Amino acid sequence: QDQAKKNTANKAVIEERQRLLGEWLEFRKSMRQMLEEEDAVIELNNGKILRDEDGEVEEIE
Amino acid sequence: MRPILLSGHERALTQVKYNPDGDIIFSVSKDHVVCAWFSHNGERLGTYHGHQGALWTVDVDPTSTLLATGGADNTMRLWEVKTGKLLKTWDFPTSIKRVEFSADGRQLLGVTEKRSGHLGTIVVYEIDPDPEAKQSDEHILRIVCEDSKPTVAGFSYLAHYIIAGHEDGSVSQFDAKNGELLYNTQVHETDMLITDLQWSQDRTYFITASKDKTAKISAADSLEVLKTYVTDTPLNSAAITPVKDFVILGGGQAAMDVTTTSARQGKFEARFYHKIFCEEIGRVRGHFGPLNYVAVHPQGLGYCSGGEDGYVRVHHFDKGYFDFLYEVEREKAQELANL
Repeated sequence: QDQAKKNTANKAVIEERQRLLGEWLEFRKSMRQMLEEEDAVIELNNGKILRDEDGEVEEIE
Repeated sequence: MRPILLSGHERALTQVKYNPDGDIIFSVSKDHVVCAWFSHNGERLGTYHGHQGALWTVDVDPTSTLLATGGADNTMRLWEVKTGKLLKTWDFPTSIKRVEFSADGRQLLGVTEKRSGHLGTIVVYEIDPDPEAKQSDEHILRIVCEDSKPTVAGFSYLAHYIIAGHEDGSVSQFDAKNGELLYNTQVHETDMLITDLQWSQDRTYFITASKDKTAKISAADSLEVLKTYVTDTPLNSAAITPVKDFVILGGGQAAMDVTTTSARQGKFEARFYHKIFCEEIGRVRGHFGPLNYVAVHPQGLGYCSGGEDGYVRVHHFDKGYFDFLYEVEREKAQELANL
């Protein structure tokens, strides 16, 4: 009986996590879409500025 | 991996920041000195001298060319990172509690302290990223906060909004073009000071830390509170980790507020929470006083913390950190991979 109770509890925890993860991924998707529509280049590049020299062979130690 | 201890400051750290490449850490302290360190080995790269009072804040521009600082000498200053040359000093009637560049580095904001006869303000300057250029004397925007003083502030994605955290625990959203207050909402408990505000990489959401012992993630456009992290100690700082879905919280009761026993020594901890599930997943102890600031490596490879004890502790994450996943995250990743 204890085992059954535990399984129900675990199931509830897992379902809650699945819900939270799904909700978060939806939020992220909508934000990403908004940034694409706004052509937010730096933001879509994880906040990094694309520099002129990017793409060229440049070794920085 | 063992943390690297950066000892060079003589007083409490107030803010620490990685540059965008993550190879340099900038630190400011009540000892008036700005330090730059190599993040991989903790070697000191240089110092920036000139401030005449405690330093409260530092930020580096997105090209690692310019450094901004602010402090109790009522100045905000701009430095050339490479040479340590002081490029510009802006004077104010009160101290500067926070500086932050916009994502493109073309704007710099400063939060000024409230003092008798002076309300707290947020000032914005246009920045020329060329270190040889003459920087403007005049602000392009000045927001006066009449209700509750701002303690922290920053630019959202595309510098659409300026988001500020206040002394009364509320968060404001201003139009960053004209300074108009668009929205103010009580994110944290009433009259519980907001101590930190840090952005996600794309600046669409941010995390605030408060003396109310919680940290919260809110959306930049709606100001809706998305996540709440509950702790048992007043928080001074909160950071969002890239790569992994975690947040790192730092704080602690100041020594004068608790009975100090030898057992407590070195037990001030950085707390890791799962960003999405809001559960605590680990702690890293080491500091001998409250953590005043936590900063995450921009590529998510590690973090550093600045303490009231005068030390900066730099941690490089190990494999276990990157491998850690909740079962539901593992399943979701698998599901997406199979699409």
